[in-house]
Amino acid sequence: MATDGRRGVIVYGMASMTQTRDDARRGFWPGFFARLTGQSVAWAIGASIIVALMIAPIFKPPLPVLFGRTMFVAIAILLAHTAAGQWRNPPLPRLVLQVIAVSITAPSATLAAYLLSTGGDVYAVFGNEWRLTGFLLIGGAALLLGLILTLGALYRERDAQANAQALQFALERESLQRQASDAQLKLLQSQVGPHFLFNTLANVQALVESGSPRAAPVLGSLIAYLRAAIPQLHQGAPTLGQEEALVRSYLELMQMRMPDRLGYTVDIENSLRSLRLPPMTLLTLVENAVRHGIDPSEAGGRIAVGARRDVATGGVMLWVADSGRGIDEARPSGTGLANLRERLAAAFGAGATLSLQALSPQGVRAEILLPAEPR
Amino acid sequence: MHAPTALIADDEPLLRERLAAHLARLWPELQIVAQARNGREAVELFEDLSPRVVFLDVHMPGLSGIDAARSMVARTQIVFVTAYEQYAVKAFEQGAIDYLVKPFDEARLVDTVKRLKQRLQAQAVAGGPAGVEAVLERLAGELRGSGQLRRWLQWIKASIGTTVRLIPVEQVIFLRSDEKYTLVVWDGGEALIRKTIRELADELDPERFAQIHRSVIVNLARVAQVSRGVNETADVHLTGRTEVLPVSRSYLHLFRQM
Repeated sequence: MATDGRRGVIVYGMASMTQTRDDARRGFWPGFFARLTGQSVAWAIGASIIVALMIAPIFKPPLPVLFGRTMFVAIAILLAHTAAGQWRNPPLPRLVLQVIAVSITAPSATLAAYLLSTGGDVYAVFGNEWRLTGFLLIGGAALLLGLILTLGALYRERDAQANAQALQFALERESLQRQASDAQLKLLQSQVGPHFLFNTLANVQALVESGSPRAAPVLGSLIAYLRAAIPQLHQGAPTLGQEEALVRSYLELMQMRMPDRLGYTVDIENSLRSLRLPPMTLLTLVENAVRHGIDPSEAGGRIAVGARRDVATGGVMLWVADSGRGIDEARPSGTGLANLRERLAAAFGAGATLSLQALSPQGVRAEILLPAEPR
Repeated sequence: MHAPTALIADDEPLLRERLAAHLARLWPELQIVAQARNGREAVELFEDLSPRVVFLDVHMPGLSGIDAARSMVARTQIVFVTAYEQYAVKAFEQGAIDYLVKPFDEARLVDTVKRLKQRLQAQAVAGGPAGVEAVLERLAGELRGSGQLRRWLQWIKASIGTTVRLIPVEQVIFLRSDEKYTLVVWDGGEALIRKTIRELADELDPERFAQIHRSVIVNLARVAQVSRGVNETADVHLTGRTEVLPVSRSYLHLFRQM
């Protein structure tokens, strides 16, 4: 069954829908637990141990009791701090909320710890001098340390955010660079087929051996073609004039190879020769015309290359027409044209179009329309 | 004994002439009785002249050198000439079939001439090495690209005014039946074509296109999402388009896997 690809598309569509719904519904608790990291719990326990050890010398109950109280308070503060940080669309800045939460929780949790030990008797806490001192010491230390740690946590979070953002930027930049070099690699791979190169060299060899005066100019065309068709990675957009020279070199070589089957004309409006284009714009179309139109045809045909500005719209029309075999409807459309379409869109935006039409009685016309440059 | 005869077939005249010039120097007795510009001419000239040796370019317009050879191989000595068809060279090696790789140097041609002379002397009746027909048949298939079982429609021809647009199928977004015609909606616009939706459903690659309704075929790469409707129906939403396409009950099974 050939339904796998189709199913993949549908499943992907459904998955992305569910994803958005989940995001909107993501509740309080998952976020709460996500924020309550092991590191924050460790900080709280560490702080409670330090406070317990510091006030132990002036404390009557045994150390484990004291430690239990300070830890109870520390965990309560941590939970309050975390919960305050989880507030969606808070009415106050998050830092202020967290400070308030810590300030309220420190004394009230300390009180709760004492109430637990006295069985809920408030008088037993505040009436007893020792307990009152203990309450004030633990509560005060908890408040102080809680606030310090809140600020520390905020600072660390900011830092982590900045790091994450920097990483995100670096990743984006890298992926853009990769896309750009991918496009150039595709271009590199698509050019100068070995079949073309060796056949052309065989022809040049024949001319050289026979002492033909055509050998030198043909070799010149081959050099010009290779220089342009083996793109340097850092070259910018060539002009239409340079592209014309490349196309003429290529057509001269092909005409040397098939003199009885290929005729051509190149007709570029002079004012357009300085126009900048993506590399290989015209050459891609001319090579297609030779490869799919002229070469497979016993009778061959003519290729007409041209460019002119449309006076009415101010746009530019480039075309390559051949009277060759025409397009077989089952012939794969290949990556060359799709790649050229992408390059044109990248250079001129969506306004640039590349279209093909069948010619009568036979042949293909490829046409590029570039929108008028905004002035 | 008659002088040996040869036919040279290559669509590139300079290469025919170069080979002829070298053969004239290396093997003066050999008569080049004709030169052919393509596979069809090669077969015709071969039938007329029955040369004992045929030099055949692999890549020629119309009938390829491989196809042309299949009707001659039992009756002559064939030397293939090729530029960089690696798979062909590999097959020639395996099948012990003689070949030259362009651009070839004279030393290579000297070897070939020596071998041809031996073979012509050894057997009055010509004929290639054993199993050569099978090798050629396989190569011919590879050259034609008939490796794929089915050749799906890759281009849609649409008449717009006086021109016939050639639309690569990957640019097609969806197709909708319009009585005897079909409306093609693609990145560059819309057009009516003469084919029916039924013919198109049959010709388009089912990996890339799905009929989702009696009158609708959609390019799966352009589907954004499918939403279930009530009563066993669904709607297909497209990427970057406002049209919503119906999925009818009998095609719903395509999306039921979820």
